[in-house]
Amino acid sequence: MKLDPFLQDLLPGFAVEAEEIAQRLQGELVDLERDLTSEQRRPVYESLARGLHTLKGTAATLGLEPLAELAHQMENLIAPFREGLRRVPTDLADALLRGIDNFVMHAKAYAMGQTDDLPSLPPLDHLVAENTPSTAAALEVAPKEVAAEEGESHGATPPSTERQTTQTHPGAHEPSEGSAKLLATPESEFEGSWRVNTGQVLALMREVERLREVRLRLDDRRRELEIALASVQRIAAQAQTAEARGLVGSVVRALGEDGDEAADVVSSLEEGLKSISTLPLRTVLDPLQRTVRDLSRRSGKEARLSVVGGEVSLDRRLLDSIKAPLVHLIRNAVDHGIEAPEGRRGRGKHREGAIVIRVEQRGNLVFIEVEDDGNGLDEARIRDEAIRRGMQPLVELQALTTSEVHQLIFHPGFSTKREVTATSGRGVGLDVVRSQVAALNGTLEVHSRPGQGTRFVMAVAAEIGSSPVLMVRCAEQFLGVPLLSIDALLTAQQALLRVGRNRVQIEYREQILQVTDLSVFLGLRPPGPVEDGKPLMIIKANGRQLALAVDEVIGDRDLMIRPLPAELRDLPAYQGAAILAQGQLMLVVRSEWLTDPGRLVNTVSSAGQRALVVDDSLTARALHRAALESGGYLVHTASDGQQGLEQLATGSYDVVICDVMMAGMDGLVFTQKLRARADLRNVPVVLVSARDTDADRRRGLAAGADAFLSKKDCASGRLLSEVSAVLARRRSA
Amino acid sequence: MTTWRKDAEEDVIGTSALALLDARRDAISEKPRATAADEALFWLAEFPLGDDQFAVPLQHMRSALPLRGVTSVPLAPAHVIGILRFQGQVVTVLSLASLLGNPGWREDPQTLLVIELGAGRFVAVDCEQIPKPTAVPRRVIDQARSQPQGAGPSLNGAVVEVLTSDRRQIFLLDINRLLDRRRTQRDET
Repeated sequence: MKLDPFLQDLLPGFAVEAEEIAQRLQGELVDLERDLTSEQRRPVYESLARGLHTLKGTAATLGLEPLAELAHQMENLIAPFREGLRRVPTDLADALLRGIDNFVMHAKAYAMGQTDDLPSLPPLDHLVAENTPSTAAALEVAPKEVAAEEGESHGATPPSTERQTTQTHPGAHEPSEGSAKLLATPESEFEGSWRVNTGQVLALMREVERLREVRLRLDDRRRELEIALASVQRIAAQAQTAEARGLVGSVVRALGEDGDEAADVVSSLEEGLKSISTLPLRTVLDPLQRTVRDLSRRSGKEARLSVVGGEVSLDRRLLDSIKAPLVHLIRNAVDHGIEAPEGRRGRGKHREGAIVIRVEQRGNLVFIEVEDDGNGLDEARIRDEAIRRGMQPLVELQALTTSEVHQLIFHPGFSTKREVTATSGRGVGLDVVRSQVAALNGTLEVHSRPGQGTRFVMAVAAEIGSSPVLMVRCAEQFLGVPLLSIDALLTAQQALLRVGRNRVQIEYREQILQVTDLSVFLGLRPPGPVEDGKPLMIIKANGRQLALAVDEVIGDRDLMIRPLPAELRDLPAYQGAAILAQGQLMLVVRSEWLTDPGRLVNTVSSAGQRALVVDDSLTARALHRAALESGGYLVHTASDGQQGLEQLATGSYDVVICDVMMAGMDGLVFTQKLRARADLRNVPVVLVSARDTDADRRRGLAAGADAFLSKKDCASGRLLSEVSAVLARRRSA
Repeated sequence: MTTWRKDAEEDVIGTSALALLDARRDAISEKPRATAADEALFWLAEFPLGDDQFAVPLQHMRSALPLRGVTSVPLAPAHVIGILRFQGQVVTVLSLASLLGNPGWREDPQTLLVIELGAGRFVAVDCEQIPKPTAVPRRVIDQARSQPQGAGPSLNGAVVEVLTSDRRQIFLLDINRLLDRRRTQRDET
């Protein structure tokens, strides 16, 4: 179809508008199928009529005659029911919904200029008459019967279908005064608003993020200038540099003020963008009414979807991302959850199943619950299916708790359905749902009671990219732990701990949980006793719980978590890194990794000789670690002498490799202190230094070192052979 | 009491620092000998590591930063020192010595070189000194790349031995290949 170029330019906007209106119309049709009172139906019919009229009018204006005709047919079909404020029969609703789908599909195709393979639009009235006799009959129903059906009397006689279809042609349709008003209303909805390309908004968001980075860098520069100025003040002659220092001082102040102003601008831009880029959640939830309706019809069930809290506004990107998981959960609820009407009646339930979506925002977190009152998860069947598939060893599967069995439904390919249908059975779905939620740094939990229903709880951060994390310290490392996975924060008390030979446990809410130090998980220090007063986090993920000890809890933060670079993506321990206020990076651990039983096995099984590397150089630590690990050592590191002594106090090591020149406590003092302690006196020490004169060597050995190496000597293999030689000497001594 | 005189300090500085600055200026402005024949040049960022001189193509170098503000990454491979924020990106900081199989080092690195691997992707590597720019005729680089490597640390083409006109040996690094090699080693393990 050839269009005027000017009109062609209007088509993309028309397609978007058509989709928006169609979405509303679908919800209204689903409402009109229900048992509402006439008065409840009236505003719904009015809105429906306005929507159809707008579609028809706009399509006709753009010269899209087939679409105008389709909208006109839909108006005709609905008219008698609107006149009588009657319930829309299901088969008519089917036809109208199909008509709306076709309208949107064609509108999009026109907008994209892809009309070559577009199927022609089937006439709706024929479709209804041929395939849906109940509606065809209903269209013939006399008004009196209608009134009798609803116990009400309507004075107006609805026009017959025949009269309506022959009365007008959409192209020649002259809007009445009333319909002109109707036509005007939807347009006013768009008054004062612009349609903006999503890509442009996203690009703007990225630029604002960059601006925020620039602001952080401004702070960095100001701090560096302050340090330089302080240094000049210490070393330079005061009088002669006074003028220059005064000038630099005023630049520092001005830079600080500029930084503050930049911060205000960034905040203001972020707020502005936030208002542009958010929409009520109902825009995603309303179309699910249609999903529930269609699926129920197809599966011979009856179900109703209720939404609580749909007015919560969220980032459009987040809405786009949760749309698919929600659709899947809803399909799952109808297909797997809700029973057939007879079955429900047998269980004493209402024949119509209830599916409820509850939305609640708490701070920066949005909780979305999808609950049905159907079958509930069949634990025995899930377990049997897992055994049949050999998902885990039989003994392990039999030992799983109910909560752990429920987690099996998120396993890729898992389905208890033996037959593949259009809706389910392929086992593709819940694993995808969980991974999609995980991609948003969110969590998905399932709770179920047999015969009573199933509830999925999705929790995601309201601001996309930002996630609430608890900032903790483990040894010298600051880490973020997703707040969503923390069930509680406790303080370790020996009275509450059950200390066994190989493990420590704690009783928490009638469950026995394993207690581990996060530093041990991350290879920062060897396993040791959990000290009194240490903070304990109860971590909950994938249906498993454990208690993790950390050295310090700093506090909670809402942070933008960025993915790790490609070189580190394979590390399962982290979901990314967040930029802190001062611009430094902090790793954020992945809660699923913390509770992964496979990781627990790996951590516990790491045996072999242990080496502690004490060096203030990141590079030296990395190189020593590489060399020692290649020789089978389990390596921990410390960045200064004091930290090294603390590490030695909490764990035992077979050898220590220590740098000589370190800020604070140097390697010589460290070695002397170590030798002075009875418990550490016999730990072999290899000193390493950039300076390797004879005098340096003598001093090192005099301090108590077993060997002395220059950093240049630490080339591949040399450090390892020296460590082996030292250990051999110690053994033979 | 000692009094400070600006002209007196200038006298002291004048003979040492100014001469040094002049020498540096001349060195920078002087064209390499190879350009006498108007040869195409290949610029390297040259730096020492242990007893050897290494280099990366200058066109790939984005920044030289002090080695600080690096967040270490527990459980990362041994050649990873940590991560760093650079121009809004999270960038991996690598130990060059570790990537090269640890040839030993003279002093602890204080400098980070940010290198672009392509498509806006960066990594940072440590080095002992701030690199200096060195120009080498492109034909020398092409020749070195096409020849089988000698005694140096070839590492499957990730390191190419280049001999400058003044007979200095520089090992030209291909960081992408070094990382590929590391990945292959890991996969084999």
